[in-house]
Amino acid sequence: MADLQEESLAPGEVGKLDEPTAPVHGGDAVPPEYDEPAVPQDDPAPTEADGDTTRACDLSRARDLLARHPVADGHSGLPWALHQLSWYDLELGESALRTDIPRLREGAVGAQFWSLALPAEVRGERAVSATLDLIDLAGRVIASHPEALRLTRTPSDAADARSHGRIACLLGPAEARALGDSLGALRALHALGVRSLALHSTSWAAGAGLTRFGEEVVRECNRLGVLLDLSGSSPRTVERTLAVTKAPVVFSRSGAAALTPHPANVDDGVLAALRANKGLCMVPCAAERTGPTLARVADHLDHVRAVAGVECVALSGTYDTEDRPAQGVEDTSRYPELVAELLRRGWTETDLAQLTWGNVQRVLRDTEFTARAAQERRPPSTATAERLDG
Amino acid sequence: MTSSPDTDLAPYLAEALDLLAEHPVVDGHNDLPWALRQHARYDLAQFDIAGDLRGRLHTDIPRLRAGGVGAQFWSVYVRSDMAGEDAVSATLEQIDCVDQLLAAYPKDLVRALTADDMEKARGEGRIASLKGAEGGHSINNSLATLRALHALGVRYMTLTHNDNIAWADSATDEPGVGGLSAFGREVVREMNRTGMLVDLSHVAASTMRDALDESAAPVIFSHSSSRAVCDHPRNIPDDVLAQLPANGGVAMATFVPKFILPAAVAWTQAADENMRAHGRHHLDTTPEAMEIHRAFEAANPRPIATVATVADHLDHMREVAGIDHIGIGGDYDGTAFTPSGLDDVAGYPNLIAELLRRGWSTADLAKLTWSNAVRALRDAEDVARDLQSRRGPSNATIDQLDGPATS
Repeated sequence: MADLQEESLAPGEVGKLDEPTAPVHGGDAVPPEYDEPAVPQDDPAPTEADGDTTRACDLSRARDLLARHPVADGHSGLPWALHQLSWYDLELGESALRTDIPRLREGAVGAQFWSLALPAEVRGERAVSATLDLIDLAGRVIASHPEALRLTRTPSDAADARSHGRIACLLGPAEARALGDSLGALRALHALGVRSLALHSTSWAAGAGLTRFGEEVVRECNRLGVLLDLSGSSPRTVERTLAVTKAPVVFSRSGAAALTPHPANVDDGVLAALRANKGLCMVPCAAERTGPTLARVADHLDHVRAVAGVECVALSGTYDTEDRPAQGVEDTSRYPELVAELLRRGWTETDLAQLTWGNVQRVLRDTEFTARAAQERRPPSTATAERLDG
Repeated sequence: MTSSPDTDLAPYLAEALDLLAEHPVVDGHNDLPWALRQHARYDLAQFDIAGDLRGRLHTDIPRLRAGGVGAQFWSVYVRSDMAGEDAVSATLEQIDCVDQLLAAYPKDLVRALTADDMEKARGEGRIASLKGAEGGHSINNSLATLRALHALGVRYMTLTHNDNIAWADSATDEPGVGGLSAFGREVVREMNRTGMLVDLSHVAASTMRDALDESAAPVIFSHSSSRAVCDHPRNIPDDVLAQLPANGGVAMATFVPKFILPAAVAWTQAADENMRAHGRHHLDTTPEAMEIHRAFEAANPRPIATVATVADHLDHMREVAGIDHIGIGGDYDGTAFTPSGLDDVAGYPNLIAELLRRGWSTADLAKLTWSNAVRALRDAEDVARDLQSRRGPSNATIDQLDGPATS
């Protein structure tokens, strides 16, 4: 018995099943020859089908690129959507959803934020328990698909999940209301895996901006390493949060207001401020927010890259939320098409690697770094809303 | 019974301390987190428990050490007049408070989630710290919230506090659903499945019987004594104690004078009335409230419980439930008064000395202080592993099982 056990725990044996799906390269920026798609070279004289071939070539390049730099999707409504379904099959495919494991794989999704957003009426009445419900559900769904999904708490976890071919699932954004105005509850949610908080629809982050307690929530999020999500926040909350936070902020589902007026979209002034904050504008594939087609989504990406910079743009499917997806990017399998479109628009491979994976990973690491530094400086905050806001 | 503990127990104290060094106390219930909430709004800097907090709290680390405490279930209690969302977020704050204590005092306190963790902590000479929720109001009728508490380290839940909840009756309220409702039974099953101990302190006898009937795992009474010795609803009737051998559970005797000393029961009723007459909650222990208490006490001398009072309960509980099914749950910092000789968490050696004087053997006492409670948690873990292999998490709702709430 003892012998058997020693053998099964021999270091060489452990992890054999977890080979990375993508080949490992010495450097990400310069792909070796064998990664170049074979199709175009094998087809030397395309004449009438020229457009189609270029298209196929772009798509092939996009897939190739995504195999190395998978998509970190900033906002998935999956938890609430699953909460509404009595039966579902994520493993073989689920027609009631826009997300399932085959389509996540086809879309080369490597990480996803699982939103804990709640419909307004639930948010108002029972945000705390409903959020715990969704965390429990997300945990169960992830645990029952260990071959595909992995619950992720740190940026290193995310990189690790990726190198094992698993999709990293991060919990958040949670509703601000889920705190019940308590920083202790925020820490408990963090302990349960929540890594992002949406600052809206609560007394301390409303139209008038952050109250003193709201600012304390921002500082405590910084101390814990919880991302601040400003999609849907009032302009004054955005302004105040950017002034207070020591870590990058994210807009987990916001396009450019200059192109499409939508309450959650950000104007050029905020995009410029984002550049200084090194935060992220994660552009959604949602018709109301970024226009009806894939090309319009690409327009938003172009605009955000131009105004905020290539370091501050990222992707957000926003699938399985109340938002209708844009044509051409209807579900989580369609990211290669979107990336192919950006290739046609002249985005370089370095730009795209930042867009799909690198920027999100950097923000997660910056946030963690800020948290470590803050933990050296300040103890957990015991402030209460009554004490700070009266 | 009338002699002072100090003189009579002196010959046994050294042996008691030796025994506790080997078999430290697992205490079932300590309300330090609530005391820190009330007195300091969780500002731990105001109450450094590594220092001497005598006169301010019943609990600090030097006295836990002096008392031979090796494991503590820290209560993450929230008041039962809190309900719904407020109770849940307040419980999360209480959990966070325990986590802050663990982070602040790593030399003395260590997180324990399993029986193995408790043994490991004992080996390291640190105090194994577990969490217990006190009252089903903390889960707001949600089994997912129950699982969230488990994920955050809560290892027992008392089914009710002093008031009935929608699915279980309290010992100190009028009969409601008559024990456990169908949803209440599902809560017990889900606790069995997750590996959270079912705590039957505070619940009505009808609830105790229903829970024993439903539970596949050992139950505990985190802080309850014997009703045959002192007829108070917070104590355990003999027929329930007699069921513990079959169930494998543990009844952890409490020290709260108003539950264990018959003469103190009536006095406490009068004192509670007095607190309410001053417009305060009768469990209030803030300095102002204690001032009111002291004035009342000056006019009405308080009957004094002693170490012997607690030992009387343990003698009886041992007789009825058996030596393998008893333990200790002091309820320090959750009660305004304590017995003489058990004034704070440094008092346990006096209790052990008293039991040695009464002829309890070392093996008996080792079961009482340490091994019974550890065994109950270990058995609950076994049951949970077994159940998890056979059924998934329950998402039953109270509306489904008990019908829509009648308002």
